[in-house]
Amino acid sequence: MMIIKKIFLFYKRESKLFYSNIVDLFSNILFFFLSVFVFIFALGTDEQLLKTIGIGIIWSLLLLSSTLSLRKFYEEDFKIEILPIMHMGGMSYELIVFLKILSHFIFVQIPFLVSLPIVSIFFNLPTNEIYNLVLTFIIGSLILSCLGSISASMNLLNKTNFSIGSVIVLLFSIPLIIFSVGINNADNDFNSLLNLLIGIALIFLGVAPWSSAACIRLALNNK
Amino acid sequence: MLLINNLSFSRNKTKIFENLNLSLNNKGMMQIKGKNGSGKTTFLKVILNILEPESGEIIWKGKNIKKNIFDFYNQTTFIMDNNTSTRELSVQDNINFWKGLSSSKLHNDEIFKLLKKLDIEQYYKTRVMLLSSGERKKLELLRLILEQKKLWVLDEPFNHLDDLSIEILNQTFLDHINSDGMILFASHFDPNISNLETLEFN
Repeated sequence: MMIIKKIFLFYKRESKLFYSNIVDLFSNILFFFLSVFVFIFALGTDEQLLKTIGIGIIWSLLLLSSTLSLRKFYEEDFKIEILPIMHMGGMSYELIVFLKILSHFIFVQIPFLVSLPIVSIFFNLPTNEIYNLVLTFIIGSLILSCLGSISASMNLLNKTNFSIGSVIVLLFSIPLIIFSVGINNADNDFNSLLNLLIGIALIFLGVAPWSSAACIRLALNNK
Repeated sequence: MLLINNLSFSRNKTKIFENLNLSLNNKGMMQIKGKNGSGKTTFLKVILNILEPESGEIIWKGKNIKKNIFDFYNQTTFIMDNNTSTRELSVQDNINFWKGLSSSKLHNDEIFKLLKKLDIEQYYKTRVMLLSSGERKKLELLRLILEQKKLWVLDEPFNHLDDLSIEILNQTFLDHINSDGMILFASHFDPNISNLETLEFN
């Protein structure tokens, strides 16, 4: 019962931090919208072309936009050393990482969900593809949050080269892009590809807390 | 009650300290002294299992802390040299977070009395980023009373404090010792407390 209270307390703190840094989220969403516009202006008014490559462009830009928020994943909490204090409060590092991933998913990724139908209009996407995009984004963004956690915790070990974290996220998100974009062209394989995507999300949700917690412990040891 | 046997720690193949022994009983207070970079902070973090020792064991109430780490943490407050308060949140939010994390039953009226004693009650709704270093340190030290734990481990607790606050902290230490508590702290500052044991780090 005590641990549930602590989880609520954790999310209360995260939500307050989210509201105090809401400008960051708006900047990320603005970056996403502007990048979409840049692509549309660059490609011209060929409706069929926009429709064909729309989903791929939206997914690539979502990926780039979400890497913008990775720096803040653990950095501030690590700097003020609240992570060991939370651990001393009865939360294992694995639980802290798991809660952080879910909080990144809720407070950073989900707001992008609202922007997806709006952006889809600019690419003239049919309704069923918008539905697929939203569905794959819900699962895919959870994978992105897991990848973000792994790369951000690895960055705690490497204080000089932040871009390596973004490289890791981009590298490991290639399967995510393949399945998320490919789901629209798979008429009969829709369910199997969706299941595959859910499977990847569950694997990352299982692996990320252990690997990120190990990186945090190592980073604390080297501090 | 707290026993440390032959504790050693290395970082990047450099020995930070080797075969350190220490024992701290109920009503015991010990100051760790040493020059900058001698490993005082590292020693405190190793005792609290935040850092992994190379060898040696830490015994709390007759048991190795690794066998029941959360029971040990349940009775320990650690005040670091850094301020662990979140800068973007208000003093109230930080206090509520610490209070919930330690499952403290301290009433809000008592918290207000403490804030008043430390002369920071006017900042209750203020963001921590707007507080001075000394005020942030006082807020951090509030955790000692807030968490109501038996063992206090502190790293440079007197830094950034004015004379009056040092006097209050000394008195708080004595009150804690008199109520069967234990204190272990690392500091360059001599707090002028009688019966204080010291451990020299060289």
